[in-house]
Amino acid sequence: MAFLEINNVSKKFGATEAVSDFNLQIEKGELVSFLGPSGCGKTTTLRMVAGFEMPTDGRIVMDGKDITDMPANQRDVGMVFQSYALFPNMTVAGNIGFGLKIMKKSAEETNQRTKEMLDLINMPEYAHRYPYQLSGGQQQRVALARALALRPDVLLLDEPLSALDAKIRVSLRAEIRDIQRKLGITAIYVTHDQEEALSLSDRVVVMNAGKMEQVGTPFQIYNFPETNFVASFVGTLNTAEAEVVDPARGLISMDGVQFVSADDLNGRKKGDKVRMSVRPERFNFADDQKKDNLLDCTIENITFLGSVVRIQVKIGKTVFNMDTFNNPFLELPKIGDNGQVTCSKEAVLVISH
Amino acid sequence: MKKINIWAWIILFIGMIYFFLPLISTLEFSMKMIKDRYTFEAFRVAFTDRVFFERFGYSVLWALLTITLSTLLVVPTAYWVHWKLPKARPFVEFVTLMPFVVPAVVLTFGFIRLYARPPFFLNDRPILLIAGYIILSLPYMFRAVDTGLRAIDVRTLTEAALSLGAGWGTILTQVIFPNLRVAILSGVFLTFAIVMGEFTFASLLAKPAFGPYMEEIGSMRAYTPQALSLVSFLLTWASIGLLQWIGRGRVQEQVAGAH
Ligand SMILES: Nc1ncnc2c1ncn2[C@@H]1O[C@H](COP(=O)(O)OP(=O)(O)O)[C@@H](O)[C@H]1O
Ligand SMILES: [Mg+2]
Repeated sequence: MAFLEINNVSKKFGATEAVSDFNLQIEKGELVSFLGPSGCGKTTTLRMVAGFEMPTDGRIVMDGKDITDMPANQRDVGMVFQSYALFPNMTVAGNIGFGLKIMKKSAEETNQRTKEMLDLINMPEYAHRYPYQLSGGQQQRVALARALALRPDVLLLDEPLSALDAKIRVSLRAEIRDIQRKLGITAIYVTHDQEEALSLSDRVVVMNAGKMEQVGTPFQIYNFPETNFVASFVGTLNTAEAEVVDPARGLISMDGVQFVSADDLNGRKKGDKVRMSVRPERFNFADDQKKDNLLDCTIENITFLGSVVRIQVKIGKTVFNMDTFNNPFLELPKIGDNGQVTCSKEAVLVISH
Repeated sequence: MKKINIWAWIILFIGMIYFFLPLISTLEFSMKMIKDRYTFEAFRVAFTDRVFFERFGYSVLWALLTITLSTLLVVPTAYWVHWKLPKARPFVEFVTLMPFVVPAVVLTFGFIRLYARPPFFLNDRPILLIAGYIILSLPYMFRAVDTGLRAIDVRTLTEAALSLGAGWGTILTQVIFPNLRVAILSGVFLTFAIVMGEFTFASLLAKPAFGPYMEEIGSMRAYTPQALSLVSFLLTWASIGLLQWIGRGRVQEQVAGAH
């Protein structure tokens, strides 16, 4: 049995179904993130685990105990909010020690634990500051320490980095992951940022319109999207309508341009409509190496993104994005040039639905 | 630029005259108790009246009680409305406006009719007076607290406290009240000023409050009431000054802390 089980949970607000039939088993020490666009039900699901919302249907089981009807303040759950939510009238130490005081821990133990937590977040000298005297990143670290001070069984984070600058976001997300690993705490991390989800999770749950689209490791989610939504939401993806030509050999045709795919086309007939997709980084120019698919193209646009150069190539009637690493010693093609791009048959994904 | 400045000063000056002229003439009149001479005789008479202190003390006591009960009523209510029933806010706000909608005379007779008969028999108890005062204080207390609650993220702070194991009592006393200190104080001082000058309730319920006393004095003497109204005016100012000083003290403490 998994440590945290969310079984067939759904939540209705009046007529709108914010979450429908959510099922997830989370192992102890695992960090699972919920990824999806705004309004897809991530926060609602998290709030049901925290006890702030009651599921309309389904059960939530933690460590073998059904907690579905347990009040929020009796659950062994720590929570970090997007807006930090530090108590403005208390110092950093007061915030971190708040839960410990409620649990009637001795002053000695409270001080000891508070100090431990301040060390954990690398802010030992900030104990007597007030929240308004801290930067956003520091406030969020204090909020993390506050949530962890009671050593909860589960840590819930609702878009903890969304209010911060890009630079701090990257460093703090590594810090959160480090701390989570060090403490071996089970965590759910809600985000709408795919890079965040992919970079720090053991598993990712991609959600759309209240439903789970796919659950898997970041590797699986990125490389083998199972639904059209996952394919288009995670990473930049080129997708196009195509038609099955020869299911046995994996041949499909996009407006007359033939592609060969390594995906299983069993059960499909010649003439079936499918959706195909190729990640931008799977295309190369065909100069040095030719792969399974060799495609004539016209250069439509070139965008310099720093380490990566994004080139838009028109294959047949469809424009695809192609990413190449920036190489200062290699000359880029010019807009309007004709050329050839190539990609392996593994790069051509046929998405089931 | 210069021109705007001059106009601003002129308008300020006119405003000041409008505001201070009545005060100054009241003061001037109150000092004319002894013929052909300016003295503070009227003030001396007012302050040596034992009844003045009795009545004043009575009203201060009930004002403090009103403030305590009104705070205990309004803060949890406004908090609950913010956290759980935001849709009920317009309704609650309307209810708090009762003293502006229903005249005090009507309210008092309503009280007496309802509570002076079985099973209450409360007609002679000061509780009716307090009840009236609390209703009078509602618009000020509710608005002040409501504004204070808007300035903090009630919902998230409550949830943060809940997730740390806090119960409602702890949340109210340790998270909500401390963050509403300045807001509550502004409601408190307005309530204080209003209760100190209140006439209708106290008079109709025949209670020895300060408001009716001012009225009695006013109909009996000429100069003392002018002195008294100035004194009560100064007291109100002192209350508001105290409020601002406390509010400013907090800001300074915060700024000083930032270094
Ligand atoms: N308290 C609520 N009352 C009514 N609708 C709500 C409430 N909370 C969330 N919703 C609705 O549920 C859906 C999911 O919201 P939410 O879980 O906050 O999404 P996300 O966190 O993924 O952005 C949205 O359509 C939202 O409008
Ligand atoms: Mg959300």
